[in-house]
Amino acid sequence: MSHSTARPDLVPADPLTNHEYDGIREYDNPTPGWWYWMFGASVAFSFAYLIFFHFSIAGWTPEDTWADEQRAEFVRLFGSVGQLKPDDETILRSMDNPQFMTIAKASFIGACSACHARDGGGLVGVNLCDENYKNIKHVSDIFKVITDGANAGAMPAWKRNFSDNERVILAAYVASLRGTQPSNPKAAEGQPIPAWKADAGK
Amino acid sequence: MIDSAFVASAAPGSALAGETRRERVHLEEYSYDDDIVRKFLAVTIVWGLVAFLVGLIAALQLVVPSVINYTTAGGARPFAFLTFLTNVPFLTFGRLRPLHTNAAIFAFAGNAIFAAIYYSTQRLCKTRMWSDTFSRLHFWGWQLIIVLAALTLPLGFTQGKEYAELEWPIDILIAVVWLGFFGTNFFMTLKVRRERHMYVALWFYIATIVTVTMLHVVNSLAIPAGLFKSYPVYAGVQDAMIQWWYGHNAVAFFLTTPFLGMMYYFMPKAAERPVYSYRLSIVHFWSLVFIYIWAGPHHLHYTALPAWASTLGMLFSVMLWMPSWGGGINGLLTLRGAWHKLTDDPVLKFFVVGITFYMMSTFEGPMLSVKTVNMLSHYTDWTIAHVHGGTLGWNGFMTFGMIYWLAPRIFQTNLYSKKMAEWHFWIGTLGILLYVIPIYVAGITQGLMWRAFDQSGALAFPDFVETVAKLMPFYWIRVIGGLLYFAGAVMMGYNVLRTWMARPAVYEVPILKTPPLLPAHFERPVFTSRLDANTEFGKAGDVFIQNFQNAWWHRALEAIPSKFILWSIVAVAIGSALEIIPMFAIRSNVPTIASVQPYTPLELAGRDIYLSEGCYNCHSQMIRPLWAETKRYGEYSKPGEFVYDHPFQWGSRRIGPDLAREGGMRSSLWHVLHLEDPRQASPQSIMPAYPHLLNDPLDFEQIQTRVRVHAMLGVPYGEAVKDGKAAEMARTQAQKLAAEIVQAQGPTGLENKQIIALVAYLQRLGTDISKPAPDAAAPASVGASSPSDGKPARPDAPAETKSN
Repeated sequence: MSHSTARPDLVPADPLTNHEYDGIREYDNPTPGWWYWMFGASVAFSFAYLIFFHFSIAGWTPEDTWADEQRAEFVRLFGSVGQLKPDDETILRSMDNPQFMTIAKASFIGACSACHARDGGGLVGVNLCDENYKNIKHVSDIFKVITDGANAGAMPAWKRNFSDNERVILAAYVASLRGTQPSNPKAAEGQPIPAWKADAGK
Repeated sequence: MIDSAFVASAAPGSALAGETRRERVHLEEYSYDDDIVRKFLAVTIVWGLVAFLVGLIAALQLVVPSVINYTTAGGARPFAFLTFLTNVPFLTFGRLRPLHTNAAIFAFAGNAIFAAIYYSTQRLCKTRMWSDTFSRLHFWGWQLIIVLAALTLPLGFTQGKEYAELEWPIDILIAVVWLGFFGTNFFMTLKVRRERHMYVALWFYIATIVTVTMLHVVNSLAIPAGLFKSYPVYAGVQDAMIQWWYGHNAVAFFLTTPFLGMMYYFMPKAAERPVYSYRLSIVHFWSLVFIYIWAGPHHLHYTALPAWASTLGMLFSVMLWMPSWGGGINGLLTLRGAWHKLTDDPVLKFFVVGITFYMMSTFEGPMLSVKTVNMLSHYTDWTIAHVHGGTLGWNGFMTFGMIYWLAPRIFQTNLYSKKMAEWHFWIGTLGILLYVIPIYVAGITQGLMWRAFDQSGALAFPDFVETVAKLMPFYWIRVIGGLLYFAGAVMMGYNVLRTWMARPAVYEVPILKTPPLLPAHFERPVFTSRLDANTEFGKAGDVFIQNFQNAWWHRALEAIPSKFILWSIVAVAIGSALEIIPMFAIRSNVPTIASVQPYTPLELAGRDIYLSEGCYNCHSQMIRPLWAETKRYGEYSKPGEFVYDHPFQWGSRRIGPDLAREGGMRSSLWHVLHLEDPRQASPQSIMPAYPHLLNDPLDFEQIQTRVRVHAMLGVPYGEAVKDGKAAEMARTQAQKLAAEIVQAQGPTGLENKQIIALVAYLQRLGTDISKPAPDAAAPASVGASSPSDGKPARPDAPAETKSN
């Protein structure tokens, strides 16, 4: 504190108010001009924003944007094929569509891997990579199990979470896991069933 | 009222000039009560250390699971001893995090505020506090509240609303101590003051006291369902709105306005310089208190909150930038001509860095409240980094600076070690940087990972836990930052302890002499227009501007506390009323959904466990209408889905995934195994383990009271309110669910355990919307909910889902 008095040249010469509180004094400086300009600009922006988004036809809502994206996604993914049928033939054909398989793999990791493991080797849920199945006879049965669940809710129903098309390609992805080599396979459950190609051309 | 009392007591003859009168009156003798300041200062340090330590433990809990199973070449697990941080019920993150936030805000910052107010108010008013007894009731009452909080929160007694977790008996105690003891004492001190005008610090204290009272009382309204259990009177969207009106303004009126008051007193004191601008302090004070109160809804962007409220929250936050910076520039520019003092004064160093963090936070706040920025930042660590810049930087450093300035004065000796204070400053600053920088990176990283798509249009990181595992290096750096900050505070504790030990045997109590308060006396200046050729309207405008700029009208207001208090109430009431009243009055804000039904008694009991374990600290229940989000979690949440949620549980941070549509997503057995030890279901999970839920019995009998309280609040429970009915319904559902788990080769004997209720609740979440609406004539079909029935929520044809 000693050199504060030694450097009076540094003390601004602005006019002081006559206020004093417990030794504290106040300068009579005006509020900086830029403060008013910035404040005014934020008020002006707010009015403009409010009018644009809530009192004009030009504004949009997050729900609008979401619906646009959903439409675009449907057209991009399924625009050429339209509604996919959940039958053996469509599911087997979908297995050869690399774009469908990438999309379905992400769905599988997000929704199924918690119980079936990321590579389908099974955890709480069954091993999807071996030749044995509990509720499946034909490839289209995979769609049914995904849609409605199985084993009294142990396998949940997913029709709420995925659209019909999404469940068709997810069934195709699950079918494609058969015969792959998971890192930590769970013991086989259920019965062996014929290869998927037996379902083709029925 | 306060004012009329002293005007009446003033002697006639106000025509006399003030100076003349002052010589004629006798001088009144008084002394300051610094003992109460010493008390508050001591507990500020103690609770500060507790708050920082609990924060440090919470930070460790997020990284410990990633190393517990680490095995050395020899097969040993060197970190296995840390397992207790992940599975001891009262130490889990969900219970410690509220303890950390409550301790940091209400114990550390709270006591710091009180120390500042008791020291400065007496001096600014030239009087002792109105009542020493009230000062002590305030002190001991507040410490009792803190101890009760420290006991009840780890035990899982909580209202489940962030920063308002404390249960109803403690809430009542808070109201009594805050307004009854503290507020009364403060306002009566203003009444008996000997300084005509109130300095700007006092304005901020006034705004703090009136607004915190309003926020606390309105947000805490609840119906008790036992000594340590209650349900808020609001539900869903309205509860969310009230909660964040409270939550954001706890930041405003507990962590900002009192600290600005602190700054306005201690900064010019420490710098020995006049405050930069009196007129700026007027403009920024009123704009701040008027605008801040509106900003709460920015915590709820893209949620089921109506768009108009969200927009108001954003715009008032943007407008808040300059009012906030007004305080910052007034503080920093007070140092004009005194910057050289920083080199050898740790107090000023703390203040300057504190104010700098304040200005950074109050720029960042408006930025984060812009909806499109918030879209990325919300639910991520970005918010955590933002908050800690404000709390560690602004609240912490202002408090530390004040403590170093106060300690030698109130203990009437020299500070034990200035060098140690310097070290505290540098270690603390480094600690803040090592905390916030990695957490910013973590927040933005995770936010971008959540919304990342690969080339095929699928989520790039569909497994949520991938986005968590990525953050571990940043979380480790945060632990180091927190450790440094804590170490600095320990040094301060030691420094102040040694200072206290060097105190005189008997404190000197100077007797001061001041004439009593004179009647308010000012002359209103008369202005004439400076414009020559203009309309009468233009000239009137010029006169108005001159009046405004002269600020005589405000000078008059500063002399009359009752009017000042009244205007403060008006300023904070306007925004509150204009946001809250329409939210309750206009039905279209929450369109009802016929298929949404109350929780079953068992699910309600499960929800109470969800609250009690503090699940909302890591899991949101609110899916925003964003493409990446609905891809990950399912259909976005609708306002009508939450009408029976007392309290709402939308959450504010996703350390774990959103649970709004968790119902039916996994098997019940999976939930049991996952709750018992999350690592056995998801190896990279950092969630605490809840094995006790599989052992602790569920109290079926207490569900009845809880159902009845909900019925009182308007939840249509029908049959379930009858004696014994709720327990019976709960038992039936529990047996059915336990049988399912056994059938799936899960553990047996869960039908009377707590976990069964929690799983029932989780399996119900977000499922109602896809069920068929019940027959309007039938009573509420409570008890009949199974997650597996319902129609598809997302039909393929886009035209069908265009809901508006």
